[in-house]
Amino acid sequence: MSNGDLTREWTIGLPDMIAYAGATWDWHRLHYDTDYLRERGLEKPVVDGQVFGAYLAIALREWFGPDAVIIGLSFRFKSLVFAGETIRCVGTVTREEPGRVELDLRVEAGGGRIAVAPASATLTLP
Amino acid sequence: MTLLTEELAARIGEERVYTAPEALGRAAIRYFALATGDTDPAHLAGDVAPPTLICETNQYAGLPRDDDGYAGHGWHLDVPGTRLVRGGNSYRFERPVGPADVITARWKLAGMTERVTGGGKRMLVVTSVATYTDQSNRILAVNEETLIYVER
Repeated sequence: MSNGDLTREWTIGLPDMIAYAGATWDWHRLHYDTDYLRERGLEKPVVDGQVFGAYLAIALREWFGPDAVIIGLSFRFKSLVFAGETIRCVGTVTREEPGRVELDLRVEAGGGRIAVAPASATLTLP
Repeated sequence: MTLLTEELAARIGEERVYTAPEALGRAAIRYFALATGDTDPAHLAGDVAPPTLICETNQYAGLPRDDDGYAGHGWHLDVPGTRLVRGGNSYRFERPVGPADVITARWKLAGMTERVTGGGKRMLVVTSVATYTDQSNRILAVNEETLIYVER
């Protein structure tokens, strides 16, 4: 595994957000209702922050392979992400030993804005 | 004037337990994988749930939608003069989750702490812990969630 940053990008369109709302049984109006958003001074639907956990988990398994097992994942929200934005999951290995790896993670949004940080994960490896 | 009133402090330790009315199901796993762009064949087949699914779904809760459209667990804390923002989550995954698993989520209101932001505003940091178990009472995952009520 390289010592450099690991990255994975997603562009989150409104259809992705609608699909995620359905898949998680979370129909909060922040994620799609333009009248509701306008009343709160928001121009675009807000991406559900929980999805960043799913994206980080996907990125980790793509970086370390399907037999890697995520045993811990922590993340803090820094700023909102809006429909149509491209986000980038970034990982840096901080500790590696046989059968186990630890990483610092973050999620960047448009203009280098930090959406999620600090974040970290621990995986066991085959 | 404190954000952490006696009434709020008395609620620390409260628990809510939700058991899903059905097994998680292959379709729910496949739907989540498709919605998140997951490329893992086991997830796309619905054989094994992506690890964060049970921490993100409200499927188990069986609650009606509120006025905001939300149908998941909440403590409905009354903290006047504040706005609610999400702090973050810390997940610990104990074992794989499959389509036949019937999820029980046990939420505990673990703590509340009043702090001051860098900008001098008071905030109430609320920590909850959800423990997810299967039909054999085996722990699947633990989710520590932080919500922050920030003074307007």
